[in-house]
Amino acid sequence: MTMAVTAGRTAINPRAAVLAYLAVSGIVYLLMMLLGLTMRLAQAQWIDVPPNFFYVVMTMHGAGMVGIAGLSSAAVMWHFVRRYIPVSTAVFLTNLVFFLIGAVLILGAGFIGGFGAAWTFLFPLPAHSGGLWSVNAAASYLVGLIFIGVGFLLLHLDIARGILSTYGGLGAALGVKQAFGLAPAEKGPPPAVTASTMALIANILGILVGAAVLVISLVNLYVPTFTFNALAAKNLIYYFGHTFINVTIYMAVIAVYEILPVYTHRKWKTNWAFYLAWVLSTVFVLTVYTHHLLMDFAMPTWTLVAGQVISWLSGLPVLLVTAFGTLTVVYRSGLRWNPAAALVFLGVAGWAIGVIPAIADGTIAVNSVMHNTQWVPGHFHTYLLLGMVAMVLGFMTYLTNPQPRYGFAWLGYWLYLVGGVIFVIAFLLAGAASVPRRYAVHVAQWLPYDRIGSIGATVAIAGVLILVARFFVGIRTAASAQDPT
Amino acid sequence: MSTRRLLVATCGSWLVLWLPAVRGGLERDMALHMAVQMPLLIALGALVAAATCRFEPRWLAAADWLGIAGIAAVVLGTSFWMVPRALDQAIADWRIDLVKFLTLPLLVGMPLGLSWRRMPPLGRAFIWANFIPKLGAVGGLYLGAPMRLCAYYRLDQQELAGWTLIAVAVALGITWFVAAFIGWTPSCGKRPSRPSVDGAGRQRALHASAA
Ligand code: HEM
Ligand SMILES: [Cu+2]
Repeated sequence: MTMAVTAGRTAINPRAAVLAYLAVSGIVYLLMMLLGLTMRLAQAQWIDVPPNFFYVVMTMHGAGMVGIAGLSSAAVMWHFVRRYIPVSTAVFLTNLVFFLIGAVLILGAGFIGGFGAAWTFLFPLPAHSGGLWSVNAAASYLVGLIFIGVGFLLLHLDIARGILSTYGGLGAALGVKQAFGLAPAEKGPPPAVTASTMALIANILGILVGAAVLVISLVNLYVPTFTFNALAAKNLIYYFGHTFINVTIYMAVIAVYEILPVYTHRKWKTNWAFYLAWVLSTVFVLTVYTHHLLMDFAMPTWTLVAGQVISWLSGLPVLLVTAFGTLTVVYRSGLRWNPAAALVFLGVAGWAIGVIPAIADGTIAVNSVMHNTQWVPGHFHTYLLLGMVAMVLGFMTYLTNPQPRYGFAWLGYWLYLVGGVIFVIAFLLAGAASVPRRYAVHVAQWLPYDRIGSIGATVAIAGVLILVARFFVGIRTAASAQDPT
Repeated sequence: MSTRRLLVATCGSWLVLWLPAVRGGLERDMALHMAVQMPLLIALGALVAAATCRFEPRWLAAADWLGIAGIAAVVLGTSFWMVPRALDQAIADWRIDLVKFLTLPLLVGMPLGLSWRRMPPLGRAFIWANFIPKLGAVGGLYLGAPMRLCAYYRLDQQELAGWTLIAVAVALGITWFVAAFIGWTPSCGKRPSRPSVDGAGRQRALHASAA
């Protein structure tokens, strides 16, 4: 890591810190994608994976992907929000260290301890392993999550501190006044600040809830006579888990707001609708987790109705203003496409398209059919793999390749796009045919989907490999370079 | 109010809390014990700190660098008096209760009042962020416990205490959030300067300082 010595005191180069985040992210994404491919190949019966190991792989893929999605999109957020508010590079790196410690504990829990209760660790499953994993393995997983949560908590709190010192309150940084026409939109906070504010509100509250339920789960592991209301625990876990993965898209989308204008030479215009959208989505993101409970009949009916309605609405405001803003920034701008711009543009498209099957699934009538089918991994892989990850890859490309030598990157882009589309369509079609998710062993009728999905995944991973490799080639010069403007 | 009057008032309140009727009344119920009596004792210590911080010797301020030592005392003290066994002992033996009556104001409240100002904003926020889920989790454990954790309290009192702690945690979380949302900062006199900058101005300022 590059250290710059300024006036007798060592300061860590913030750019190098961001690149360190992205280097870790590139490697972890590739490894986790290979785990995903392993599952798909096993379902396709092209390789032989013992079922109990399938669930270890599924747990590691889920936890690893959710964690690295958080880490990489936090890098996007931090890099850009730093332009507007004072933040601490030391805290930023502390988060990386906590993340790595947590990752070691989680990987150890899975690959050494055999923990396979899914990344959602639903109570009381971690304590009921049926002999497949030990109490200590489950505890190692939970403690690993606590480490990662504490790291993110520090990072978000530090950004909150910077925002409060500059804007006075979170409401002002979110653009509440602008949203309701009480102040001129031109005076509003930059999009990166608005997005970071919503991300920190959601994630801090989510992590506080998560910490409490993690401690309770740990106690239950070692003292099983302490029992908790399982439905309450499920609420708390999804409050934390859903919020954490959902927020990644709101952090990564900052790449769109900051990178596209660079290439189109147009400012990202904010108006009252933009701020209103972010205010609404802030409220929704805190309540939308209830769609995970649509099949829990013990929940009071009104919560189910609310969960359904909020699920329809939740992502839409920000998605709409972002998609619209993207089109206005790009349309007739004379943009000469390059892989970085194309990747963030793809990110918006993948997000928009992936939300459609998600909204369908957030409808109780549909959910009672599609619940726990591969429709679900179908829609979330669309907006995560082709939305959020595309934005992160675009950011990586933007930082490491100021000169237009793009031939190889275009190859990576197209492999990733075409393979990714095939991969998610295979999931969606399987879901429409009622193939259940989270099954280690598939029956003969399901194999065609699995095999097409495996081929798509292989192609997509080859594309990501190229893009990540290019990032590593450019990483040394990028540490001392300036952002392309 | 003058410092002297404030000190008299705090000592008076402390004695009132120690009166057998008040003490017994508040300790008879677990929720009152944990959510009323103990916070009041801490608050008394914090009040004394606020009144006397001007006279704080320099060496103490220097030793309590960034408020770390003081906050460590706060965390240890509060954690200890959250343990069910400690509550039991305090009821069983008035001498232990006296220890509680002395340690909560002196080893928790005073350090809190003195060290809090010295802590960097991130440290303060982190303490809040630890305390809130801790209260919630302890409350949850009281609810989930299969048996009575305190010899002196009935199961239903324990349950009420659990819910009370959870409610306090939720209330604190909401208050904290609202305060940050509207940008309210508790301050003694001087408000922190709050430059209202537009994004571009800030950006230029940062770049200038980085260069
Ligand atoms: C080429 C890349 C990828 C492949 C091949 C892949 C493959 C898979 C497979 C086969 C499953 C299990 C499906 C089932 O339940 O039957 C799965 C689940 C999952 N994947 Fe991926 N995936 C990829 C990328 C991603 C990305 C980028 C993310 C997030 C950022 C992600 C997050 C998840 C999550 C959260 C689950 C759910 C695990 C569970 O059910 O507990 N995946 N993936
Ligand atoms: Cu969700």
